[in-house]
Amino acid sequence: MLRPLKFIGALGVMLFVAMMVCAEQRFPPPDFESGYRIPSASTPAARQPWLQYADAGVLLAALGVAVWLIYKKRSRRGLYWLSLFSLAYFGFYRKGCVCPIGSPQNIVYGLFNPDYAVPVTVLVFCFAPIVVALFAGRAFCAGVCPQGALQDFMLVKPVAVPLWLEHALSVIPYLFLGAGLIFAGTGTGFVICRYDPFVPFFRLSGGMFILTAGAVFLLAGMFVGRPYCRFLCPYGGLLRLASLASKWRVRVTPEACTQCRLCELSCPFGAMRQPAPAGPDPEWLGAERKRLGWLLALLPVLVVAGAWAGSKLSPAAAQLDPAVALAERYTRQQTHPVQYGLMTPEALSLQRAAANPAEILAAAAGLRRRFDLACALFGGWIGLVIGLKLVALSVRQNRTDYEPDRGACVACARCFTACPNERVRLGLMPAAEGAAPL
Amino acid sequence: MNDSPLHRALALTAWIAGLFCLLVCAILVYEHFAAATNDPWKSPQLLALKEKLAAEPKNELLQQQIRQLDLNFRQKFRRRLALDRTGAWLLLGGGLVLALAAAKAAALKKPLPLPQPQRDAGQQAVRLASRARWSLAGVGLMVAGSLLFIRLGNTSVLPANPAAWQKLSGQAGVQEALVEDVPALSEFQTNWPRFRGWDGSGVFTPGGGAPAWDPTTVPAILWNSAIPAPGHSSPIVWADRVFISGGTAARREVFCYNTSSGSLLWQRAIENVPGSPPKIPDVPEDTGWAAPTMATDGRRVYAIFANGDLGALNFDGSVAWTKYLGPLKNPYGYAASLAVWGNNLLIQLDQGDARAAGSKLISLQGATGRLLWERSRPVPASWATPIVIEAAGQTQIITLANPWVIAYTLAGGNELWRAQLLENEVVPSPVFAGGLVFLLSPGARLMALRPDGAGDVTKTRVVWTNEENVPDIASPASNGELVFTLTSAGMATCFEANDGKKIWEKDLDLEVQASPAIMGGCLFVLGEHGALVMLQAGREFHETGRTQLPDKFVASPAFANGRLFLRGVTNLYGLGPAGAKLARQL
Repeated sequence: MLRPLKFIGALGVMLFVAMMVCAEQRFPPPDFESGYRIPSASTPAARQPWLQYADAGVLLAALGVAVWLIYKKRSRRGLYWLSLFSLAYFGFYRKGCVCPIGSPQNIVYGLFNPDYAVPVTVLVFCFAPIVVALFAGRAFCAGVCPQGALQDFMLVKPVAVPLWLEHALSVIPYLFLGAGLIFAGTGTGFVICRYDPFVPFFRLSGGMFILTAGAVFLLAGMFVGRPYCRFLCPYGGLLRLASLASKWRVRVTPEACTQCRLCELSCPFGAMRQPAPAGPDPEWLGAERKRLGWLLALLPVLVVAGAWAGSKLSPAAAQLDPAVALAERYTRQQTHPVQYGLMTPEALSLQRAAANPAEILAAAAGLRRRFDLACALFGGWIGLVIGLKLVALSVRQNRTDYEPDRGACVACARCFTACPNERVRLGLMPAAEGAAPL
Repeated sequence: MNDSPLHRALALTAWIAGLFCLLVCAILVYEHFAAATNDPWKSPQLLALKEKLAAEPKNELLQQQIRQLDLNFRQKFRRRLALDRTGAWLLLGGGLVLALAAAKAAALKKPLPLPQPQRDAGQQAVRLASRARWSLAGVGLMVAGSLLFIRLGNTSVLPANPAAWQKLSGQAGVQEALVEDVPALSEFQTNWPRFRGWDGSGVFTPGGGAPAWDPTTVPAILWNSAIPAPGHSSPIVWADRVFISGGTAARREVFCYNTSSGSLLWQRAIENVPGSPPKIPDVPEDTGWAAPTMATDGRRVYAIFANGDLGALNFDGSVAWTKYLGPLKNPYGYAASLAVWGNNLLIQLDQGDARAAGSKLISLQGATGRLLWERSRPVPASWATPIVIEAAGQTQIITLANPWVIAYTLAGGNELWRAQLLENEVVPSPVFAGGLVFLLSPGARLMALRPDGAGDVTKTRVVWTNEENVPDIASPASNGELVFTLTSAGMATCFEANDGKKIWEKDLDLEVQASPAIMGGCLFVLGEHGALVMLQAGREFHETGRTQLPDKFVASPAFANGRLFLRGVTNLYGLGPAGAKLARQL
């Protein structure tokens, strides 16, 4: 008999050690001996243009198939196989790059760095899933995203996350998105890609920290459906917004809802919403209106306070940039010298800085100015996101049937066959066994 | 259902897969910790040996021990990488089986749903919204707390306001400016401190009390001295000393001669250069070990050799500092000469192909050898020497290599402009005269470029081009009014400097590798087999004299103190206008 606790423990140990042994290695070059030339650090050669276009074509085709499976075929099995394909192709074959999740960073980096031209394929990867979401919801999450597919396959025994917690945590993707965009805009790096917990699995290699994070997400994902997608994925946040305005929406059944709640139990992602009373309760109406007014007034205060607080974060955030970090180390070394070992990266970087300190400091000064602005914007963004979410939670919504939340639903199609009326419609059971309204 | 054979089989499969994964993990973990002792960054044994080696750099036994230990580490590292890779795939497969089997087993145990009717939906919605708002506030506070923690945990020593930044940068600038005084520009101009004179133009203007030189007088050999080691570097002159470099695979040296008597004052080997490998790479015989011409700033002389050894010597022959810049990847051997300007020693290290990104321009502080700046160059190996010019309000370094002419600032090495004008293997160096840079794309065209642009100036700053009689080795010479070129087959050509029109051409019946030089209105052309031809540097062709020297010549001539210094294959020659005992006038 399978004992869950032992099973979890075993799997946890496995992932922990896997994380340790697969951590990226650094090995120094030889210090002397002739002939050896230290290779200059460089990025891998770009993929052939036609292959990049082929990737974009595969993405568009997969999106098309996903929409067809969700709306026309209403097939969970089809989406399962599409997810498997996407995991293999975009995950393990393409090693998670380029993927739509990180692509907004390319766009922002291109906007603020004129030397960088955003490739057409990156534009396709960034905007195609959003355009599809504007018409058909999160079809990308349903069957095309390899990160989502990996978490979906790990789901063993889903546990419901309380809805109030779900709402509170749903702001985090937007905060992560803001952080990713400011670091991309300042040219520091693509932190959304760097801290993607699943890419190291696709590449079978990664740093200790990110492998740990990936292991934690996979472990959590056995009981909490798609934890990264729901509570961290910045691109999921964009798709959530686009889906709110989508032309078509996922329906549990085209037939009448019997309000049996089977669909609610079948959704592992907490996306199903209960019917809500049509009119407001007179007892609470006054208080609700007053609260909404206060929260609307609070919104600009949160934005301004966030911007002010964010600007104070600039010195710390800028240290993530290698040029600023080097200037910090060099300046600190002048007042509090530290003895680094021979040929260590620290010693070598200080040598480099000592060759032209004025240039290093000038570069750091320029970056710090960029960060001052970027961090203020980021702080304001945090205030805006939290303020808007508070307002949204104070607005009453009317629903007559059980239906998926447009933003939260990843269109996985699990709820379709949980609905008795849908099963009758598909001919999976006789009409007599269909549920009557409760 | 729980006891069904299918469930039991799935549970058993999950357990077996889990145990398999644990076993793989155990092996990998053991290897991980076992390998921790083989980290070259941290190995106490290796670090101790390196410390010892720093104290005894010539200790062969120590070097051997370090090499052996390093090799052991590398072998173990490679083995571990292979093991990790295999382990990762096994873990992936095992994990997949485990997840699938566990998920299926859990699905079989899943109780049937028994949903209850929803009561008090309105009240629940209100309570839910309230809880969500409070929990959102909690999340907001946690985010704020995390950011505060990050802020407090990362204190910065860098300034917070522009004034403090300026002060800090100023301090760095002061540190940069802490360099010794160098001789005045006029001193550079009366000497021959680098390849083709003080500015690399190949023009010497007599002055400062130097004896006048009558262009109609054929110079005579005043002295000659044997050169102890071979090399193609040209002589450089400062005050009463002539310097040349020479070398073999076994030894690279600098030689100092007296300008008046030709006596060898001292010779000094550049050896034990830190980082320079004991095993010397092969260098093509035609180029040799000492093709780059030395340079001097009047305080020290600098020499670089084909293996990448760079040395600075004081005028008494003592070593000021040495530095290893190799290994240098150059198909014909490294030959670009050094350049000096003020405190800067400039080295154009073009090598390999452009994709390998190995080419660079380096500026060192002459007094200490400290790296002032280094710029990567998008070019393959080249053999041209950079020149430094004052133009458009800036001190510019002009560099040539296929396909780019690139100008950098002397102060920080920042790129000013570039032009895509060059083809083939670039050997001739540029010259600057009359406000224009004259340069050769070997065997293709002679060009004049105005050095006052920014960015890519390929289409905007080329004043003229001419494709007649274009040399492939010798650099041009110009007095600002006329430009003279000389092909390897001995065809001398004169062009108008401001529009590039050919004025005259003449086959001198010579084989030539040395670049021509101008002094006192006379163009000196040195043939490979010893013919020294003097032409009038004017609009009409006129050979004012010709003499035959008893040696073979590849290096370019040097002028100073009213003397002409020539490096032959076997001897160094000092020539002057007076006396013609060994000269044979033709």
